[in-house]
Formats: sequence, C-alpha cells, structure tokens
Amino acid sequence: MRQPAVQLVRLSRIPYTELLALQERWLRRLQAEPGTEAPSGTEAGALLICEPAGPVYTSGLRGGLTPEETARLRALGAEVRTTGRGGLATFHGPGQMLCHPVLDLRRLGLRLRTHVAALEACAVRLCELQGLPGASARPPPYTGVWLGERKVCAIGVRCGRHITSHGLALNCSTDLVWFDHIVPCGLVGTGVTSLSEELQRHVTVDEVIPPFLEAFKETYKCMLISEDSSN
Amino acid sequence: MALRAVRSVRAAVRSLRVAAAPAATCLPRPWGLRAGPVRTLRTGSALLSVRKFTDKHEWITTENGIGTVGISNFAQEALGDVVYCSLPEVGTKLNKQDEFGALESVKAASELYAPLSGEVTEINEALAENPGLVNKSCYEDGKLLLEIFQRITAAVNIRV
Repeated sequence: MRQPAVQLVRLSRIPYTELLALQERWLRRLQAEPGTEAPSGTEAGALLICEPAGPVYTSGLRGGLTPEETARLRALGAEVRTTGRGGLATFHGPGQMLCHPVLDLRRLGLRLRTHVAALEACAVRLCELQGLPGASARPPPYTGVWLGERKVCAIGVRCGRHITSHGLALNCSTDLVWFDHIVPCGLVGTGVTSLSEELQRHVTVDEVIPPFLEAFKETYKCMLISEDSSN
Repeated sequence: MALRAVRSVRAAVRSLRVAAAPAATCLPRPWGLRAGPVRTLRTGSALLSVRKFTDKHEWITTENGIGTVGISNFAQEALGDVVYCSLPEVGTKLNKQDEFGALESVKAASELYAPLSGEVTEINEALAENPGLVNKSCYEDGKLLLEIFQRITAAVNIRV
C-alpha cells in the first residue's frame, strides 16, 4: 500500500511572518480539498522547515504575554506576534529549527493527540541521532522534549477542518539568552537548552535537518517529496 | 402546522437513514468521517429538541428557535483534557460552518464550527474557570453556547 506523500518545503532563513503567510496558503489549499476522497497523487500536506531570520516572541490561543511584557520585548529588538496555536509564550530565532507540518490528519490516519505525540517522537529521535539518548517527552502541561529539567524542543499546534498548523521549534544553536526575558511556555522554574549547549559544539540547523527528515518519515510513515529531488 | 410536522418527520427519517448507513459499531473512527447517530426520535414539536451532530463532532439541540451547542463525547475524548475554551462574544453573528472559537488541550488548539447560522445569545461562563467541564459533562454542564437561529429546517441538514 502506497504511503501518503507530504510535500517538503525547505526554506532557508526567512522572517517569521513569511513562514506564517506560506502556512496560511497551504492551510487554505488543504482545507479546500474534499479529504479522504482526494485523488491519489495529491499531497497529504506540507512540511515547512526554516530557520527564523530574526528574533520573535510568540504567544498562543490563551495568550501568554501581557501588554507590558510585549512592550519590553519589542524594546529588546524582537518582534512579538500572537498566534492561534496551543501553548503559551515562546521564542523563535536564528539557530533554531522551526518546523510547521501542515498536514491532513485524516489522510495520515492520525488524531490531534497522536500528531502531538508524533512531533515529540520526531524530536526525541533526532536527539538520539545527534548523540543525546536522554531526551524524552513529558505529559501535559510539560508537552515538549526535555533533556533533564531543560526543554530543547517546544511544541504548539492548531487544528482546523482536520488540517494542522504550527508545530515544533528545536534549539540547535539558538542564543538561549533570549529565553531569559520570558517564562517559556508559562512553566516557572524550568530551563531551556539547545543541541549546541548539550553537545558542547556548534550544531547548525542545516546539520540537523537531514536526520530530522528521516525521523519524520519514519514516525509519520510517509514519503517526502520535493520539487528538485526524488526522495 | 401538519405540513411542517410531515416535512420534519420526513427530514428526520432522511437523517436517520444517513446515520444508519453501514459503519463499524463501537470501533474508534478517524476524526470527522461520518455524522454521529441521532439519539432519539420523537414526533411532534418535541422532535425539535433531538440532539443532532455535525461531521466535525459538534452537537446542537434546538427548542423554540434557540440552539444549544457543544462537542460530542467522541470529540472530548479525542481532545484530552481541555485547558482553555475560546468562545465568541454574545451578539456575534455566525454563519453555518464558520469557525467560532477553539478548545485547547495538550498544546493543541482545535477549531470549533457553527452547526447553524444564528446569533450567539449566551456563552457558558463556567468554562472560563473550569474548562474541564467540556470533558466531564460534554452534553450538559460542558455545553459551549446558545444561539438564536432563523431557519428551523436548517437543523435537519446533517453533512455526511
């Protein structure tokens, strides 16, 4: 039986707002399709991967940043954006792998909770492949991927008409000082880390993407198709 | 009056037939494939308070032009523990299938869709303090909102 195909959209450094605009276009396209009866050959979704070009703080459906905090963060030179994803406040910036799978859950045989678990599994697997076997997911409200008491990968998604948006943010060589200005994900007393921090060497987003794509294909049991290669 | 009753019964039978279409009985289904079952069938004006389900697992019961909207047991189980309900303001005008809010659980926000066109007259304020009511009592205390809607015949049109 043929595996579902997901379009790989690999972007280099782009502004966060551009990623959101692209996500929106994919959402509209997938939400318009008939769903399980869609003709074979059309994708079950798109995997948007990028590295944010500049610092941006985002809040979720519940909020997560007061107007005072927002003003303070903007004064630091960061963008601040609200989103409709789950989760509270977090940071995105250079050195981070930001991955937004815009997927039709029906075509991949998933429920929303299993999609969140699958995102965690991809990040855990990626850490293992990078030589960090101690990475693990934790139950709510600690959704995300942790190395001890420090979070290396944040997760927050949204789902409408069975199509997911937003996703995960994995710290490769992110400047962790940016996280000092917020309570990440509203979890007081927890820390944040990156692959570079844990491995004590400079780990780039470009280095991490290929093993991450392997982990994604394994976990979601799908093919990744891109315009240029025949992966 | 009699003509409306006949139309309602005919439409209800149509929707019953749709709901009784071949499907696995108690096996868990992928999200949103089919309409849920119509739970009871009564005749006369009580017919209008039968709970009807959309293919996105929202339910609506209607009485005297007021609809009560919530999510199904299937939906609340699939979501997991609801930690937040984002609902529209009273007075918001909704078109059928408009996104009117979202429920958050396990870092995932799920959109909600209006089963009928109408105007929101009341939202369940208890959900602000206690969003878990959606899980514990999705058909009663965990209902989401009430709306006035215009066309009663729209209530029998379940999308498959």
